[in-house]
Amino acid sequence: MKKWGFAAAAVAALGMGGAAHAQNWSLAQAAAPYKGVSITVVGLDRPSYQAAQKLTPEFEKETGIKVTWDIFPYEDTLKEETLNFFSNSQQFDAILSDVVWPVNFADPGWVVPLKHFTDNPALADPDLDEKDFFPVWLASFTVHDTLYGFPFDSYAGLLYYNKSMLQAAGFTAPPATWQQLRDVYLPKLTDKSKGVYGYALQSARGETQTADSFTRFLWPWGGQYLDIADKKILVNDPQAQAGITFRQSLVPYMPDGIVSDDHAQVVALMAQGKLAMITEWSAFDSTLSQSLGDNLGIAPEPKGPNAAYSAFGGFAYMVSAQIPEKQQDATYLFIQWLTSKAEAKALIDGGAVLGRVSADTDPSEQSSHPNLAPMVETWRTSAVPDWRPQLECYPGFSDIVSDWGSRIELGEVSVKTGLDSMAASLTKSMNSADCWSKSNNPEQAIALYK
Amino acid sequence: MNEMSRVGERAAPAVAAPPSRWEAATPWLFIAPSLILLLAIGLYPVIYTAFASTQSWVMGMDPPYFAWFQNYENAFTSSDFQDAVLRTAELLVVTLPVELVLGMMIALALDSARFGPLRWLLQVCLVLPIAITPSVVGLLTQLMFNEQLGIINHLIGVLGIGPVDWLGEPASALGTVMIVQVWEWTPFVALVLSAALSTVPTDIDEAALLETERWWPRFRDIQLPFMWPGITAALVFQTAFTIKEFDMIFSIESGGPGTATETAVMQIERVAFRGFDIGLSSAESIIMLVLSILLARLYIRLFYREMD
Repeated sequence: MKKWGFAAAAVAALGMGGAAHAQNWSLAQAAAPYKGVSITVVGLDRPSYQAAQKLTPEFEKETGIKVTWDIFPYEDTLKEETLNFFSNSQQFDAILSDVVWPVNFADPGWVVPLKHFTDNPALADPDLDEKDFFPVWLASFTVHDTLYGFPFDSYAGLLYYNKSMLQAAGFTAPPATWQQLRDVYLPKLTDKSKGVYGYALQSARGETQTADSFTRFLWPWGGQYLDIADKKILVNDPQAQAGITFRQSLVPYMPDGIVSDDHAQVVALMAQGKLAMITEWSAFDSTLSQSLGDNLGIAPEPKGPNAAYSAFGGFAYMVSAQIPEKQQDATYLFIQWLTSKAEAKALIDGGAVLGRVSADTDPSEQSSHPNLAPMVETWRTSAVPDWRPQLECYPGFSDIVSDWGSRIELGEVSVKTGLDSMAASLTKSMNSADCWSKSNNPEQAIALYK
Repeated sequence: MNEMSRVGERAAPAVAAPPSRWEAATPWLFIAPSLILLLAIGLYPVIYTAFASTQSWVMGMDPPYFAWFQNYENAFTSSDFQDAVLRTAELLVVTLPVELVLGMMIALALDSARFGPLRWLLQVCLVLPIAITPSVVGLLTQLMFNEQLGIINHLIGVLGIGPVDWLGEPASALGTVMIVQVWEWTPFVALVLSAALSTVPTDIDEAALLETERWWPRFRDIQLPFMWPGITAALVFQTAFTIKEFDMIFSIESGGPGTATETAVMQIERVAFRGFDIGLSSAESIIMLVLSILLARLYIRLFYREMD
């Protein structure tokens, strides 16, 4: 009896200790040892980072930690960060990782596992609530069962449509399937003589061709890039061929120069009323709603014949392992603050897109931000973390996909020839540097967070 | 006698004392700072690139190791690199003669007395395309030549010509890059040739004018011979600029559509900073450097003549 009593008292004491820690912990107190420390944060020229920069002075005021933002175009970010690590320049403290880069940073030991900080009661915010992140997002930044980054600037592929153009063509709702979009909607919405198009797919060379144009038509038809366990490239299997053949059948309904158009061009065409529908990242909501206002409709991406798989992309913040420990702790405090539940609503109101369940599902936030509901639906039902594979060789891998994907879209080669050539190049590339073993399977990590 | 002999004795010519070590080193000390700087920023990167080209080195993956000439073999057998070099050659072969002819016409126009006070304005206009940052030129091109939104299609539409897909088709995209390249660099060629034209001695030129007022014999027999060094310089510079052209073409559509506008330098950048294959990209860089030097030597051998 005495033993049980002692155990109960110990548990109660621990509980009270925990509760006391929760009550006592404050950002200002946690940051006190780091007052005067300067940290550099990598960012992009996109709405989420603009919102974050606006809020940063609050963090600086509360902590005394000086934050400098280093903003890059997306295309240069991996290069800048890799060179920073490789030369050990310690230029950046908070590292921005795209969903396809975690393995590039984690495997060489360039970033610190977050457990190092979350296990430290002096640093870990008791209200961090990891479970409030969508599992698919945490899984995306988990390498070999270890979490390296907290999600920030999280995207879902969405269908943006011009309500009045659809209504004028007799549609009361957006298409639910790709088949419907092509066979029912596009013939009625496209009038090339007037310079009006039913749909446009941004396809510019680089990651836009790989992610936005090619991958979007792979998964919904049952296709996949590769089978890591069997060391097999699958881009030329019949499902992938069916998906890419479907993509080609949409080209006649799109503006002529679409193969050279990036996000900015299709968004501009949509804003000018020349496009009825586009599939774009949720990050473009604020840009499009500024020009189309209430005329802008947002829905989840159409379903494919196999399943609903929407485009999946976004970023997370990680702590550089090359900087001194004091700097690492200060950086962690910033990342924890930036991705916290407490800041989420202010960030969303400032134009950011985040993978925080509580803020994204908040009815008042959803009513003022119409992109949130379809984003939540997408992340819950039709998102896979390895939508694009996580490989150390991914940059070269993506380059090959982009190259052959563009050639197919331009009609320089047939779908079958192009996909066979792509598969041959990818196989050669994957085998040459033993890329199969330098990979990560984030899908398996989802179970850790559910 | 003593006096005589003193007078008769001519002072032996003074033999300069051998310079001290300090005096011998003085010229070297004067040029040492610039020499060291030149070696540090010019030669060291080349030597390092040559060294890197012998390494099997993919940044962030396994540690580099010595691979002899494997990267050179890979570069020579890479269809991507071959295509990019051919595309660069295509760009050079088309744009260089056009730039030279247009540049010569502008230089002769500037030299002509007819333009008088307008000459100053023309010279200012010539500097503008050179002064604009190449990446801005690329971004302006992207906007102006956009099939749907661009002003070029709007302007040709006014003339009754249908819209052209300038950037969406491989052939027209490369053509667009050539047009912009010519627009950007012709003024530079014109300024170099204008400077070369100013080396023609006035008395010879005036004597030629007394002989004939026809411009062609005057140009062919009097002006052109004096201009060959300037023409050679323009050829060497323009070849180097075209082979190195990166920011303008990259800003237009990153070498796309597909690889239609990807030049050798862009392919090297892609290998180096997207694939992080430092060994292969270094080997490709050395190949392009050798090619540039060979072309420069060829121009000098074929065109360089000095007039006394």
